[in-house]
This record gives sequence, structure tokens and C-alpha cells, in this order.
Amino acid sequence: MAEEPMSPVPLPEGTASDTTGSRGSRLLGVLTLVGLAALGVLAFVLTDPDVRIHPSTGAEFGQFDAVRMLYVHVPLAVMTYLAYGLCAVASLGVLIRRTPWWDVTAHAAAEVGTVFCGLVLVTGSIWGRPVWNTWWEWGDVRLMTTLVLFLMFAGYLALRRTTGDPRAVSRRAAVVALVAVLDIPLVNRSVEWWENRTLHQQSTLGDLKIEDLTLFTLMLGFLVLGMVLAWLLLHRFRVGWLERAALDHSVAAAIVERRGETPDDELRRAVGDRSPGEPL
Amino acid sequence: MPDPGDKMGPEGDLIDDLTPAPARPESGSVQRRPGAVVVLVVLVAAVVAVLFQTLGDASLFFYEADRAVELRSELDGDRFRVVGTPQPGILEIEVDGGSAVVFTLCAGDVLADVVHLGDPAELFQPGVPVVLQGSWVRGPVPPGLVAPAADGWYLRTDHMVVKHDNDYRGEGAELKACGLPDDNASAGG
Repeated sequence: MAEEPMSPVPLPEGTASDTTGSRGSRLLGVLTLVGLAALGVLAFVLTDPDVRIHPSTGAEFGQFDAVRMLYVHVPLAVMTYLAYGLCAVASLGVLIRRTPWWDVTAHAAAEVGTVFCGLVLVTGSIWGRPVWNTWWEWGDVRLMTTLVLFLMFAGYLALRRTTGDPRAVSRRAAVVALVAVLDIPLVNRSVEWWENRTLHQQSTLGDLKIEDLTLFTLMLGFLVLGMVLAWLLLHRFRVGWLERAALDHSVAAAIVERRGETPDDELRRAVGDRSPGEPL
Repeated sequence: MPDPGDKMGPEGDLIDDLTPAPARPESGSVQRRPGAVVVLVVLVAAVVAVLFQTLGDASLFFYEADRAVELRSELDGDRFRVVGTPQPGILEIEVDGGSAVVFTLCAGDVLADVVHLGDPAELFQPGVPVVLQGSWVRGPVPPGLVAPAADGWYLRTDHMVVKHDNDYRGEGAELKACGLPDDNASAGG
């Protein structure tokens, strides 16, 4: 069956479109920077360390200053879920609609999500050393499922680079993304499903075991890290779109060049249905 | 501007009807390799199988101390993880030229004595649960524990991590009691 003629991604004209910035994205960027500064002040200066008095021993216990990693680590994890969720939705769009818009969106979300997921692992490890007494604990369900999630999407990104033309593997990459995203419920619910069988603590927000400035700072962390995610997604999408346009443009240019190298009579034989003298 | 309606080909690539058709080794290769898709599916299934197998093992990531006591005959000689709450009265001793701590672990109303080789965790203290890795050893523990299990066995461990709770409230935080009177079961911190 003949394929429906497709239109390539247009290359932006002029210098005005040759940037990933816009008035809206710049405003978002400024607000994000302000938010990050506020989050830093709240997380590292204004909030108290986690110090409690043990009811039976009377000794101080808690996470002490390590608790400050909470304000970054937890929002990073949630934003990872969002980014990968967006990748899954866009991957469905790739399979159903077969449009480059969905494909570029899926790629951008996977890439930014993998950066966030990597940061989740790093910040968790930094937190775990003083609190747990270990950088990493093999066998812990939360840690392992998160690592698997990171590796699967790293594989997704690797798959997209297996050819010089990312368009050639977009559908396979979409399938990989849809499989990989199935790990997210396991990551999120592991500490509940395997309660008392994991080193990782259970959900704090679900049981509302957080309050006052600690809660406010955590909520601010969600907002600010969400803005970071949005900013990165926006720009990565625009970069991806420009890459796609440049790729399409180079293919079109190569075809035109190839035409120029091919004698007219060969082209006419190839075309077959054009009369002599008719412009090719 | 990008639009979700912009179309591309069946392999995600853009099809151009200009002639002569340009050589497309990548997409051509994909179309000629349906087996590659099968291999990919098999690999994904393998990853999922490994994942679930890992989760199955991890569901026994550690035993509660009372369960470890219950399974002591089965676990004899095996290396395993155990979780429990250290009781007050921690001894620091020297074993084979190295430092060690001796204490009693508690889960529910069951006690188990522990000789932990090496330095304990930074946040290790009575009343805060820990996960230990080691094995059962038959024999007495050094004297001096406040309320030892003294059942002729002890856990000889060399890996300790602290299992922190999920409570960040300054007041009203609860701690699970272990081997303590009810009036100490929970309290504001």
C-alpha cells in the first residue's frame, strides 16, 4: 500500500527562530532561578535540622542536617515520574499518530527525565551515606527498581542513537519507553508493597508526617523543580525540533544535489512518466 | 511552529516522493529485519523476568529479629540480614585486635544478642532500628549487657545500616516500642 506523502519538518527562516529561547521561556527561566535561590535559602538556612528526643532513651536522634537533601531528592523523584510519564504519552502518540512532534516530545522527555533520575540516585546516595551508613544497598527494592528505571531509559536513549537517523528507530524507541514506564508504579509503591522489607523509608506525605516549614519547603521544592523540568523540557524539545528540521533539510539538499549529478535522461528513465523537455 | 499533526513515515521517518529515491540503508535495514523486533521483545521479557526475580529476592531483604530467632536452626551458618531495635546498654569491646560493639537487638518481645565487628553506623544508638548482616554463632556473649537474650546464641555481624523512619515532625513523632514498658511506647520528641 502506498504511503501517504509526508511533509518534512520545516527549517526555520531567519535568525529570529534560530534560538530555543522565547519571551515566555526567558520569564520562566528567571522565575526558576529565583525559585531555586529561595529553595536554597529555605532548605539550607531557614529550616531546622531533623533532631528529635528519643522517648525512651532521652537521647537526640534523627537525620540531623542530612534531612536537607529531602527538599531536593523527593521533588526530583516526582519530576522523574512526570517526565517519564510524558515520554510514555508521547510514545503512544508516536505509535498512533506517527508524527515528529510526538517523537521529539518523547525524546526530550526521556532525556530530561533520565537526567532527573540520575540526580535522584546521586542525591539519594549522598543522603544515604550519613543516615543509613551506606552509599548504596544492593537488594533494596526502592533502590533497585529506581536503578532499573534509569538503566531502561538510558537504553532508550542509546537505542535512539543506534542509527545516524533517529527517525529510523522512533517506533521501536516508543515501545521501549512504554515498557520502561511500567517500572514507575513499582518504584513508587515498592516501599508500601514491601513494607518493613526495605531499607528505604515509607511515604511521608501520604501519612502527613511532616509539618510547618519543613512541609512548606518540600512543597516549594516540588514547585521549583517542576519549573526546572518545564524549562528543560521546553528547550530540549525546541533543540530536538531544530535538529529534526536540520536533518530533513540536509536530506532534501542531498537529494537536490544528487539530481544535479544525474544526467537528465537517467532521471527521465527513473521518473518514466514525464515527457521530454518537461522540467524535472 | 511544530505541530502534532505533522506526519512521518511508518518507521518514524519522513517519506519524500522525489525521484530517484535516495538510498536509505538504515530504514531499509529495519524493514528487512523483523527478527530484530522479536529479539527486542525477548530481551524486554528477560528484563522484566529479571526484575520480578530480583523483587522476589528482595522481598526477603531482611528478617525481623524475632523471625531470625525463630528460623535460627534453618539459618545456622547462613549469612543473612536482620532488622531490629538496639536496646540500651551498648558495650564496646575488642575482638581479634579490632573494635566491636555488643548489644541486644529487639523485635516485638523477642531479644537477640549481637556482636558487631567494626565501627557501628554514625547514627547508631539505642531505640533506632538497624539492619545488620551476618550469621548466627553458638556461644555466650561478653558479660555486661543490661538485659541480654542470653540464650546461648548471638549474631556475629559486620555490616550495619540504620533504618530511618519517615517522620519529620518535631512534635508528636511516634516510635515503635520494642521491649519497653507501654508508657514508653510513643511520645512527642
